[in-house]
Amino acid sequence: MYPRAFHYHRAGSLKEAVAMLSQLGGEAKLLAGGQSLIPLMKLRFANPGHLIDLNFISGTSFIKEEDGRLRFGAMTRHAEIEDSSAAKKIPILHDCAAGIADVQVRNRGTIGGSLAEADPSGDWATVLMTLHTELHCLGNQGERTVPIEEFIKDAYTTALAHDELVREITVRKPSPNSGGAYLAFKRCAPVYPTASAAVQLTMEGETCREARIVLGCVGLTPIRAKQAESALRGAAVNEKSVSAAVEAARTASDPQPDMRGSAEYKHTLVGALVKRAIDVARRRALGEKVELSHIYA
Amino acid sequence: MTLGEPRRWVGHALPRKEENRLLRGRGKFADDIKLRDMLYLRFIRSPYAHANILSIDVSAAEAVPGVICTLTGAEIVPLTQPFIEIGPDPFAKIKDYPLAVSKARYQGEPVVAVVATSPAIADDAAEVVQIEYEALDPLGDGEQALQDKSLLHEEAGTNRVWNGVFEYGDVDRAFKDAAYIVNIDRLHFHRFSSTPLENNVVIAEWNPKDERIYYSCNNSFPSFAIQFLAAHLNVHIDRIRVETSDIGGSFGIKITSYPQMAVCALASKKAGRPIKWVETRSEHMTSSAHGNERTFRDTRVALAKDGVITAITSRHIDDCGAYPRYEPLGCVIWSQVFPGVYRFKNARIDFMQAVTNKCPVGPNRGYSRMQHLWFLERVVDICAHELGIAPDEMRLRNYVRPEEFPYTTPNGCVYDSGNYPKMLQVAKDLIGWDEWKKKQAAARKEGRLLGIGIGTTLDSGTNNFGQSQIVNPGLPYSGNSQGANCKLDIYGEVVVAVGSCPQGQGHETTAAQVVADVLNIHPDLVTVRTGFDTERNVHTGFSGTYASQFAVSGLSAVHGAAQKLKAEMKRLAAFTLQTKEDDLEFSMGAQGPEVRARGNGKSINYWGLANLVNANTAALPPELYEVTLNCRYIWRAPFKVPDKQKKYGNLTLTYASQLHICVVEVDRETFIPRILDYGAVDDCGTVINPPIVEGQVYGATAHGIGAALMENCVYDAVGNMLTSTFSDYTPITAVNMPAVKYGHIETPSPHSYSGAKGMGEGGAAPIHTISAALQDALFASGIVIADSFNNADSLFRAMVAKEIGQAQKLVRVERRV
Ligand SMILES: Cc1cc2nc3c(=O)[nH]c(=O)nc-3n(C[C@H](O)[C@H](O)[C@H](O)COP(=O)(O)OP(=O)(O)OC[C@H]3O[C@@H](n4cnc5c(N)ncnc54)[C@H](O)[C@@H]3O)c2cc1C
Repeated sequence: MYPRAFHYHRAGSLKEAVAMLSQLGGEAKLLAGGQSLIPLMKLRFANPGHLIDLNFISGTSFIKEEDGRLRFGAMTRHAEIEDSSAAKKIPILHDCAAGIADVQVRNRGTIGGSLAEADPSGDWATVLMTLHTELHCLGNQGERTVPIEEFIKDAYTTALAHDELVREITVRKPSPNSGGAYLAFKRCAPVYPTASAAVQLTMEGETCREARIVLGCVGLTPIRAKQAESALRGAAVNEKSVSAAVEAARTASDPQPDMRGSAEYKHTLVGALVKRAIDVARRRALGEKVELSHIYA
Repeated sequence: MTLGEPRRWVGHALPRKEENRLLRGRGKFADDIKLRDMLYLRFIRSPYAHANILSIDVSAAEAVPGVICTLTGAEIVPLTQPFIEIGPDPFAKIKDYPLAVSKARYQGEPVVAVVATSPAIADDAAEVVQIEYEALDPLGDGEQALQDKSLLHEEAGTNRVWNGVFEYGDVDRAFKDAAYIVNIDRLHFHRFSSTPLENNVVIAEWNPKDERIYYSCNNSFPSFAIQFLAAHLNVHIDRIRVETSDIGGSFGIKITSYPQMAVCALASKKAGRPIKWVETRSEHMTSSAHGNERTFRDTRVALAKDGVITAITSRHIDDCGAYPRYEPLGCVIWSQVFPGVYRFKNARIDFMQAVTNKCPVGPNRGYSRMQHLWFLERVVDICAHELGIAPDEMRLRNYVRPEEFPYTTPNGCVYDSGNYPKMLQVAKDLIGWDEWKKKQAAARKEGRLLGIGIGTTLDSGTNNFGQSQIVNPGLPYSGNSQGANCKLDIYGEVVVAVGSCPQGQGHETTAAQVVADVLNIHPDLVTVRTGFDTERNVHTGFSGTYASQFAVSGLSAVHGAAQKLKAEMKRLAAFTLQTKEDDLEFSMGAQGPEVRARGNGKSINYWGLANLVNANTAALPPELYEVTLNCRYIWRAPFKVPDKQKKYGNLTLTYASQLHICVVEVDRETFIPRILDYGAVDDCGTVINPPIVEGQVYGATAHGIGAALMENCVYDAVGNMLTSTFSDYTPITAVNMPAVKYGHIETPSPHSYSGAKGMGEGGAAPIHTISAALQDALFASGIVIADSFNNADSLFRAMVAKEIGQAQKLVRVERRV
């Protein structure tokens, strides 16, 4: 299928893009990597009258280490993050970037576009919620900073106003005794996960000081499994605490049945993924180098 | 059976001639072709699985600038005949048109066509066509449809397309004498399809000047398509020209694109301009063709004390979707492999086929036979596990034995050659069977679920179309034939034309190898024209590329044509060189390939020979006027018409076989099945080109693994297809493929000139093998694999929810000893 006719605008700067958004009104949409928007337009599920292309604005794609933080330009491609040595220092970021779809999608798709899309199955939001993440949004009134937890409002719904865009994403670097892991089950590469688990643990010896556990694709937004986190926080990470965490995570999940699996199965699956992600996160927190890739059918 | 010429090239790992073009992106596919003034067609499809069409309003669409015309079912009825029905009455009464007329019968059925100057405008116009539907309850399942509580095709008065009993031997006696009887309530083979890289494409031009129809398309059985189209469109068949170029995969699924071809021709007639239609992926998934779905009910298996199967009875219900478009041929084609690879002599299969509100089926790699072979492999594994016999041992006790070939099956098919026990051994060696057995025992102690499965299958090739008379005694088809032409062109180039339309099978290469051996020249000196073209005049009624047969039918025709050419070249050379024909040798000379007289050392090159016939004719004596150096040969398979009443006769010429072994582990926490080792052994007789055969084996293996674990056409209760995109259907990709270990044996076929057997479909061996391995992993947990599709979710449903696959519910063993 072909999209409906639309007007194409090439923004010269992010400011100009914001101006265009407010000028053109509700019919206008930003175009980043196009990996969510273009398929929807081709199916005619999305029919914007105007596209504002961000791809030709310089200085919007970068990864910088600064003041204990990683800064990502909104237009940074998944593939650039996958290949970045800075991002590899936070292993959960690499797990995520390297596991999104296939090479073609990773070469085009952007971290900003992914967060702005707020697809309930998108990987980035799930992973970034385990870290201290802020989105720097640029609008007509200027700039504001929104923590990721407040940015994702609902399925396909964010805190962005219509004439606002994501300029930059910053992630605070976890302490050296902190480690994370992101694990998904995917039926094949170019599809969203059936379920996924993101875990970031801060360890003191065998004791877990801090835990973040976020579940992906089992709710309308990523689900922070707070009970599961409490099961680990302050406890030794052993069979008992892990199975309590797994149980709590399963309870927290709220999956829908679809072609990826029944709700009952996803409940079970997400628990198993949490268990494995905890194991890898713990080992990484203790300094072990662990390679991790998603599970494919 | 012997060649008469030494084999330098047949059997050689010659790199594919077509590689250079295809790998550099220089192939020519149907969508690459543009005709002058060409228009673009878009179908508007039924969103309902079953609905009356109350009204259609195309006025808004026709008013869109750039729209040339629209076409509806009601409009084409007076212009056409309903499509030919292959089956007998009462189903022959149904009226199948390429656009729904008063009722839509599956989600995705074309209802209206819009023609515009660009594809985007056609899409715009499609959005404003107004169609009013009245939804009807859909029939989603073959067994339910057979109850005839509501009808899909009122004209037929039933949903039962076909029914026939295939009975051989003395079934009752075998059951009386049985030591064990194993009853299996229900087995189900799921619906899946092929996902060729290139979707269907049709370009049609109905030329008003001479009332000729030109097609450029990627239909993979054009001889079949034109027979349907000529009758439907009321035109002489020689007025339809079909040309195919490179084709990006078919796997059989492109055989049944003739309805779309019909619409494009009719639209072209109306618009007065050529039409192009390019199918989208979702259209391909919802409405090109799916593979046959089949349910096996009330299976009873009689066994002797030692586990030898003596008889099987069963009821098979095939679901062919909304229209029987190649069907009911599938109702007999499975019986080409009636006993599979096994020796049992007594069987009664009550076979029926039903229409349902789903996409019509079409031949899908392993067509109709894989369902049956899967059924037999399930029977063997379920019996083995229930009786406590090791599945490999169970097979050895039941396989047709090597010394029994050629083996006549209970229904009269002749298995040409094979050696199943040897294949089993080769496959065991490939994966290290004994090691895996040890690892399995150790894993089980740790509570891990590890299974080892065997799948033995047949790829029957070169059909006897006489079997169509078993489904409909009135049909005028039998045997099989293929055409080829081999010529020396005016300057002496060797040019071969065949009636096939390859989709990656390497016909240009293998045909050149055959001719190279006949003429004793290098294959590079042979130009092969593949791709169908009715005006090339080499096709017969069965030409196309389907059903594992080119190595036999296609290359036999090429071989025959090359030999005919060689004989003519000899006559001509004997005259010119003034010697006897048996004094001549074919060799390479200083001026290219030549024919040389051993006695006097004189020679004439190919140009010289061709020149005599074409451009130096005064030098040619009248007694050689019949030499044309342009030799057409029709190869005919040595078949008889089967006995229609007894359903007895040889239905296929060659029987390639496959034996796969797979080691699988089901994760106890995620229920994800993981293949730990995979071995695939193939026997397609004499191998003509080893890498091409190996490539086919890998492809068929990938397709089968995808079907077993990932690919399933799912419909919901109201007939919505839930797997209409790749995100939902998830065709297998490299990421999902295990490393496949390939092995082969060669048992030359006595039925083909070269000893080769047709191959490529592969019998869907991985589906049987993976089912077997999963059952081996889970049988101790009370589970039998009763469905051909198994993924993490369904294994969870079997193991935790206990909704499916419960041995206790599905299987009952009567022990008489
Ligand atoms: C086959 C396939 C498989 C995929 N699999 C996965 C997967 O496994 N996991 C996964 O996470 N994703 C997956 N994706 C989605 C992919 O990651 C997309 O890249 C991502 O969701 C959107 O990013 P984009 O840059 O392509 O945005 P676009 O498609 O260009 O835009 C998406 C939306 O965000 C808006 N937008 C874009 N940039 C900004 C911005 N800076 N500020 C405000 N709004 C903006 C757009 O207007 C639009 O509404 C898949 C995509 C495809 C095609």
